Amino acid sequence: MSEQQLFKVTIDNITIEVPAGTSILEAARKIGGEVAPPAMCFYSKLKGSGGKCRTCLVEVSKGSEKDPRPMPKLVASCRTTVMDGMEVKNITSPKVIDARAGVVEFLLLNHPLDCPICDQAGECHLQDLSYEHGKEGTRYEFQRRTFKKHDLGPYIQLHMTRCIMCFRCVFTADQLTENRVHGVLDRGDHAEIATFIEKSLDNDFIGNVIDVCPVGALTDKTFRFKNRVWFLKPMDAHRDCPKCSGKVTLWNRGEEVFRVTARKDEWGEVEDWICNECRFEKKHSNDWVIEGPREISRHSVISQGHYLDAVKPTETFLAVNDGRAPHLLLDIHTESDVNKPEIELSLINGPAHSNNFNSK
Amino acid sequence: MAIKLLLEKAHVQGIRTYEVYRREGGYTALEKALKELSPEAIVEELKKSGMRGRGGAGFPTGMKWSFIAKPEGVPRHLVCNADESEPGTFKDRYLMEFLPHLLIEGLIISSFALGSNATYIYIRGEYAWIPDILEEAIREAKAAGFLGNNILGTGFDCEIYVQRGAGAYICGEETALIESLEGKRGNPRIKPPFPAIKGVWDRPTVVNNVETLAALVPIIKMGGEEYAKIGIGRSTGTKLISACGNINKPGVYEIDMTISVEEFIYSDEYCGGIPNGKRLKACIPGGSSVPILPANLLLKTTKGETRYMNYESLSDGGFATGSMMGSGGFIVLDEDQCIVKHTYTLARFYRHESCGQCSPCREGTGWMEKILKNIETGKGKMSDIDLLWDIQRKIEGNTICPLGDAAAWPVAAAIRHFRDEFEWHITNPQEAQIRNFGLAHYADPIHIPVTEHSKSI
Repeated sequence: MSEQQLFKVTIDNITIEVPAGTSILEAARKIGGEVAPPAMCFYSKLKGSGGKCRTCLVEVSKGSEKDPRPMPKLVASCRTTVMDGMEVKNITSPKVIDARAGVVEFLLLNHPLDCPICDQAGECHLQDLSYEHGKEGTRYEFQRRTFKKHDLGPYIQLHMTRCIMCFRCVFTADQLTENRVHGVLDRGDHAEIATFIEKSLDNDFIGNVIDVCPVGALTDKTFRFKNRVWFLKPMDAHRDCPKCSGKVTLWNRGEEVFRVTARKDEWGEVEDWICNECRFEKKHSNDWVIEGPREISRHSVISQGHYLDAVKPTETFLAVNDGRAPHLLLDIHTESDVNKPEIELSLINGPAHSNNFNSK
Repeated sequence: MAIKLLLEKAHVQGIRTYEVYRREGGYTALEKALKELSPEAIVEELKKSGMRGRGGAGFPTGMKWSFIAKPEGVPRHLVCNADESEPGTFKDRYLMEFLPHLLIEGLIISSFALGSNATYIYIRGEYAWIPDILEEAIREAKAAGFLGNNILGTGFDCEIYVQRGAGAYICGEETALIESLEGKRGNPRIKPPFPAIKGVWDRPTVVNNVETLAALVPIIKMGGEEYAKIGIGRSTGTKLISACGNINKPGVYEIDMTISVEEFIYSDEYCGGIPNGKRLKACIPGGSSVPILPANLLLKTTKGETRYMNYESLSDGGFATGSMMGSGGFIVLDEDQCIVKHTYTLARFYRHESCGQCSPCREGTGWMEKILKNIETGKGKMSDIDLLWDIQRKIEGNTICPLGDAAAWPVAAAIRHFRDEFEWHITNPQEAQIRNFGLAHYADPIHIPVTEHSKSI
């Protein structure tokens, strides 16, 4: 067996070859688009993450070439490795769609939906998830749960009510920092992220928990209520940092740097971890070498600012007419009363028929 | 009188001590296993016996043991799951409390068969007094040379350690148990890898129930083939049933799986019938997570056959009209019991015991509890019943570990079989606070259609 053994896997009728040991989710991400299941807890850069949120459940309709039996239950695609000849159904399986809608409902059950005052709004994975896979309205008629507030120090703001228990921040603290001082206390639906005794999170690199948090449970305290992310202009920038790669995204408004985050890829995952100093202390444009605007998916609300490739509109007629000027130009106001405020619209006759013109 | 293999000597005075246990023929199976049999031969005997795991899932133990990985130079472990927390189940407690040496003997045999030099008993925190009994038994066994280095001159070393849990139902799930044993938060692991490949400290591990491991003693004593002759079909050997609820004689009984459910409830040898002349309404035959059955479906299957106390017969009809053997926690409910309240109590338990790791179980169990509480206290709506059904359907099968299923099944079964009682609670909220729904039609015989064709079969 060669080291780079390739397995053939078919996801939603699209076949792809991936190295052995790849998870279904990562294979699906290689195909991209809608085929990639949503992931709220899995984070490819954090070892041991995934399997918890259950949003990435998929149906395995054929186990492998050797053992073609389907898997009896839906499986978490982030933690299931592909087998040769495996066939997976994601959006083509009604079972998956149904289960996923259920999971979204469960995740939103106790979520406060305080998006209008949440700093994560606009870049929140739970917003995207519920928009894409959820149902409108909730069947939950009880009070949503609340928690005693914990202060995590000057950098990180914790909103436990928004937490979906993805455990990413726990893995981050375990794998990036010297000492984890926060974790999950209690169990079941009263489990919470907290420090055991009131302590602040100030380890170096702990700021990355803000970036990995899929919801607004952990947000940047230095950016708290300062601005909405979609009013900001993300700029790639770097600096010589002795501790980290120094590659960041600055979120500007005008010349002012409102916040600094790590750069995130198309799946919302951090490309390079950054240190606390870069994130919290360097908030002047002249601390950084600006590289240029960061590309943001056009589906994201952040891209609605049209800061990228902002060019003046060209003359439409010329553009669509291959540079030829129009032969005839009509002013809509001379032809129709529709736009005149004093005209009662209901009195205007219906659409014109060919008869109307023939009679002239 | 039924055959007794495990509890045969339970009533001998002082059987808890090594002296009496040895005098009554204890540790002879161990001597036979270590001196006459090889580890492979023991596994072979176990396979022949056809014994199925007694913890609840009923997976054949011999097969489970043959899955254990044996990489060179990596220690293997046997873990005894004594985290018996399923409401209604208390058979392991009885076994450990009164016959600790039976478990220790079974553990040493199993450790020898699996090659485990360090074996653990993970016991639930609420059994506060039992670890002392077990540790005393371990001390005695060690003094007698059945534990420690070079047991009986075979060159096999084994130590048994008792580890107390902190009282979490979820730590009875094998991977959560392993996490807890390692000193971590008791969250179930995502499988695969299975414990047989990567268990305690990433070493191959077998986790078995107390009763399963104790049953090794009679299996070795009588041989796998003889053991398989007891019982019926794929339900071989004897099973401990912990009976409780509205019965005259609650307690732990050893049955050989050939008796009918009716016999078990009404016979004086076992539960001794229902007190105060009340009638049977419903029963949970295998511990709180298995589906509840109304009296008519409990005593007879939908084919009109008598239901027996064994794995196959109890699950006859699937979840639609059957239940499961489970862990053997037999809970009997008489006509005065309220199914809604009962279901609410179970939902409250599962909500409290959910580990909170995966979303459907964490959020769904709490939601179900709240709705059931509303129905129970007369604030329910008709749409709540369908909502409950939909919630349980979305939890079941979509979680990391079986706790989600265990929380969903009781609710599903209660609605499936007792829907009119739920509806009565909703339509008569005031009355439901004063009196119970009663037996209604739940004990009425089921009509089994007879056709010319079915007669000829």
